[in-house]
Amino acid sequence: MARSSTTSDVFNAIAEAHRREILDTLIGGEKAVGTIVTDLSMSQPQVSKHLRVLSEVGLVRCRAEGRRRLYRLEPARLRPFHEWLARYEQAWNDRLDRMDEYLKELQQEGEPQ
Amino acid sequence: MTPNRHGSAIVEFPNDLEIVTTREFDAPIALVFDVFTNPEHVRKWFAPFTCEVTECSIDLRVGGNYHIVFVTDDGTECSFRGTYLEVAPPTRTVATWLFEGWPDADAVESVDLHETGGATRLTMRLAFRDKAGREHMTKHDGQQDSFDKLEDLLRSLLDPDG
Repeated sequence: MARSSTTSDVFNAIAEAHRREILDTLIGGEKAVGTIVTDLSMSQPQVSKHLRVLSEVGLVRCRAEGRRRLYRLEPARLRPFHEWLARYEQAWNDRLDRMDEYLKELQQEGEPQ
Repeated sequence: MTPNRHGSAIVEFPNDLEIVTTREFDAPIALVFDVFTNPEHVRKWFAPFTCEVTECSIDLRVGGNYHIVFVTDDGTECSFRGTYLEVAPPTRTVATWLFEGWPDADAVESVDLHETGGATRLTMRLAFRDKAGREHMTKHDGQQDSFDKLEDLLRSLLDPDG
């Protein structure tokens, strides 16, 4: 099977709770791997594995500073997910607005309250 | 005059794999429940105005099925179907939720209604089951991960000035 598209890769990457915790902890700014391990009480191999997945889809970027490897968030890469969320939010907002209008019509017609 | 509540639905991610939508209506709870679950009413509001509802069957009892289909302007069929797991008028329904066109989404939708001072709040909780096949997502206690911050970030991407 062909490799899934970049868009769905981002979805897959953030579908895992530990990876979202890593993204959350990086919202405050760049962090070393060791700091992430301490902050989140995860094992170093576990954090490294998740960071590799996040790097592959471009959600985090790594740079070396001496012997330390520092990771930072690339928030623009979350856009495909955000666009899906915005469409879902819009669809339900519109649907519930129509339900609101319909409820008003029914009540004006004097439906049993 | 009551304030216009258009566009007031709130969409949130309270924890792992859940989407919660909340909206208030200026109507009594029994009427909101009826409009949300009676097919004669649902076909009036479910689809966008320019779309045609071609199927709307709702068998509102535990084990009963629902199936709603509408066709968009460009001929695309949008189909939602599922089976009721709980039916407790006028406060709650729980049903499986399958959106065809998104075949991997396997979800349970809980709808709760609560009336306060003449207004009824509708809370729709869509819980996706994860790929490992977690048995039940409906009674999801604890595990409040910190998705809220990530959500804030997502929102700031769309509206950098907000």
